[in-house]
Amino acid sequence: MAKRIVLMERPPINTCTGCRSCELACSFRHERAFNPEKSRIRVIRTEYGISYPVVCHQCSRPPCVEACPVRAITKNPESGLVYIDESLCIGCGLCIEKCPFGAITLHADKKVAIKCDLCDGDPGCVKSCPERVLALADVNIVAQRTRAAWVKFRG
Amino acid sequence: MAFKYSAYTGRYLRVDLTKGEIKEVETEEWRARLYLGGNGFGTKVLWDEVPKGVDPFSPENRLILSTGPLTGTIWPTAGRLEVIGKSPLTGIYGDANSGGHFAPELKFAGYDMIIFQGKSKRPVYLWVEDGRAELRDASHLWGRGTWETERIVRQEHGDERIKVAGIGPAGENLVRFAGIITSGRAAARSGLGAVMGSKNLKCVAARGELDVEVADDEFFDYACEVQQQILSDEYTPSTSRYGTPGLVNPMNEISRFPTRNFQRGDFPYANEISGEVLEKKFLVRRTGCYACPINCGRAAIVREGPFKGTYTEGIEYETINALGARTWNRDMASIIKGDLLCDDYGLDSISTGGVIAFAMECFERGIISEKDTGGMKLEWGDPQVVLELIEKIARREGIGDVLAEGVARAAKKFGKGAEYYAMHIKGMEMSAQDPRSQQSYILAHVTSTRGADHLKGFPCIDETGYVDAAVKRYGEQYLPEIVDGLSTKYKPMVVKDGEELGAVTDSAIVCKFGTHFPPAYYWPELARGISLATGMQLDAAELKKIGERIYNLQRCFNAREGIGRKDDIQPKRIMVESGTGRATGYTAGPLLGPMLDEYYELRQWDKETGWPTRAKLEELGLKDAADELDKIAPSRRKNRW
Repeated sequence: MAKRIVLMERPPINTCTGCRSCELACSFRHERAFNPEKSRIRVIRTEYGISYPVVCHQCSRPPCVEACPVRAITKNPESGLVYIDESLCIGCGLCIEKCPFGAITLHADKKVAIKCDLCDGDPGCVKSCPERVLALADVNIVAQRTRAAWVKFRG
Repeated sequence: MAFKYSAYTGRYLRVDLTKGEIKEVETEEWRARLYLGGNGFGTKVLWDEVPKGVDPFSPENRLILSTGPLTGTIWPTAGRLEVIGKSPLTGIYGDANSGGHFAPELKFAGYDMIIFQGKSKRPVYLWVEDGRAELRDASHLWGRGTWETERIVRQEHGDERIKVAGIGPAGENLVRFAGIITSGRAAARSGLGAVMGSKNLKCVAARGELDVEVADDEFFDYACEVQQQILSDEYTPSTSRYGTPGLVNPMNEISRFPTRNFQRGDFPYANEISGEVLEKKFLVRRTGCYACPINCGRAAIVREGPFKGTYTEGIEYETINALGARTWNRDMASIIKGDLLCDDYGLDSISTGGVIAFAMECFERGIISEKDTGGMKLEWGDPQVVLELIEKIARREGIGDVLAEGVARAAKKFGKGAEYYAMHIKGMEMSAQDPRSQQSYILAHVTSTRGADHLKGFPCIDETGYVDAAVKRYGEQYLPEIVDGLSTKYKPMVVKDGEELGAVTDSAIVCKFGTHFPPAYYWPELARGISLATGMQLDAAELKKIGERIYNLQRCFNAREGIGRKDDIQPKRIMVESGTGRATGYTAGPLLGPMLDEYYELRQWDKETGWPTRAKLEELGLKDAADELDKIAPSRRKNRW
């Protein structure tokens, strides 16, 4: 199954609250420092208290892979992971421009593109999310859960 | 050279607003080791640099914004900002503390602390970014609300990620209980927003991309463990779900919910202003401060009626009591509107509600009349009066100009026995913790170093009876009295411990939600967390000593200003009038004396003067404070208030 970081929330109670624990966990896992600017997951807070974690969806047809002029980004056909090889990346930022979600960032010091690599299957963001709304799951599992909730709600 | 301890930036700023000069200073090793951060840093600066008798509004006063070693890390609730200065409301030591996301941003921008001194000729704001700082013109921001100020600053720099902490018109107009606000989160007690205003400083804007590093990688896993500890506490789910407004009903049930200016401890209409009503009718989303597992924030909107469209992120228990029950107001929509006004004007909602309730009672009793109020009828429970008075106070218009001075000064001005209805301690309006129904709070209110206050001692153990936590923290031998809200037994020990723990949480800086309420973790966890973060190797006893040092130095600051046992007293009303409900027949009077005796004894403070003894101060490494206090004999003047 191709897994990715998913948000499973039911506002207004069960929701991302914008605490940004995920950003801190992510930066610590990858950088051994707390720095939201170096996090692969970013919580965006807009008006009316809405917060939403933006992270790579590990697209089936990733525009970043197509955009990369040096083939530093590859998609693993088995695990589904879209991976940036930092040693190949030239930091041109074309992938950043092409990502429809803003899920890729240029690393402030290393000047290479960084994005979610699913932490080898044990993501720090999922571990640290106090609201338990982040999960590592196949997107179809999310659909299944939503279906179940909907049918339960329908009664 | 890098700073000896990890988790600090190792630098702070000293900003002289008179000269328009900014100096970068290396954080001193001793400062971190002896005073930890936040509250401790500020206390030490205030003691060293603000001598006896300085007018809080003069350029000589200091305003300190500080972070702590845990700020910016993933330690649960480590997003708080500490603000310290001499308070214009009480004339003594003042501090306030807020959540939000500002403090971590300041640290990512490269600084542990900012000390402001002097007074700028024209309105300015401080812009801090990645290890650089500059003063910028703020004349276009002067007069604007806090929300709009944030928007303009972000637009100006073209960066939505900028965090702003600043004042609204109330701080500019030197309202003595004006606060410093960051995105609807308020560091508002003690009136330090007015100190900011007196310095012509509108706000501090921060943006940073620098790392916060910790000494030991194990810190991360340990922080997650403590997060779990908080999440699995039996009282966390209700705070998460309903926020602090969830306390309205339970506190009302035990008659600990000050109503009608403390005429009683329960509000018959509490059901209409409860956390449950907030969720059902007004809640948009739950929101959280930086790195918080509890997420007590409420984004709320009024969907119908005269206040339709009012949106706020700041509604919480204290505000609901102050603008609701305290003024006999049962209209939740108007309380939400009032909360927005307080945040936007930059007012402490606790003092604001307190002073409005006081004015209403004076009006009821004929102490003031329509002649004094400019024709306004200050009727109990009228939401329009509450809202109109908030605006008048913020702008210092008419009666608002008198009320902007706080209840103690307003009572002196009104005369005719108004003092009896001024519910304050050392000049600070009382918060929504009626001590008649929880006796430990009488002591906590009077021994707080910033005047009437629930957040210094924060003795929650006996609120509704946290038996498990009481046993774990203090041992079985103190049951059952220690968890009995109406008993005074063992409470001095609990209050003292809470004050020291609080001084450390305010210095680390973390929220008291977790250490005090719910009592989910304690000294050992905090000591381990701070040690792993900084590399200091502190144990619980050493950390406790830091808390004790900070608290004693605050008391010394107050002693130097003439404060002593004579000032550790409660308002007369709650000494004379009994509480209601479970507190029927209980006042906050006769047992304070013995409790204070026991408290001073535990603290090794002189029982007659209430001053720290030389032996205690020397033990804490505060010989200089002992020497200075020796120079001024304990004041024999009568009570200041």
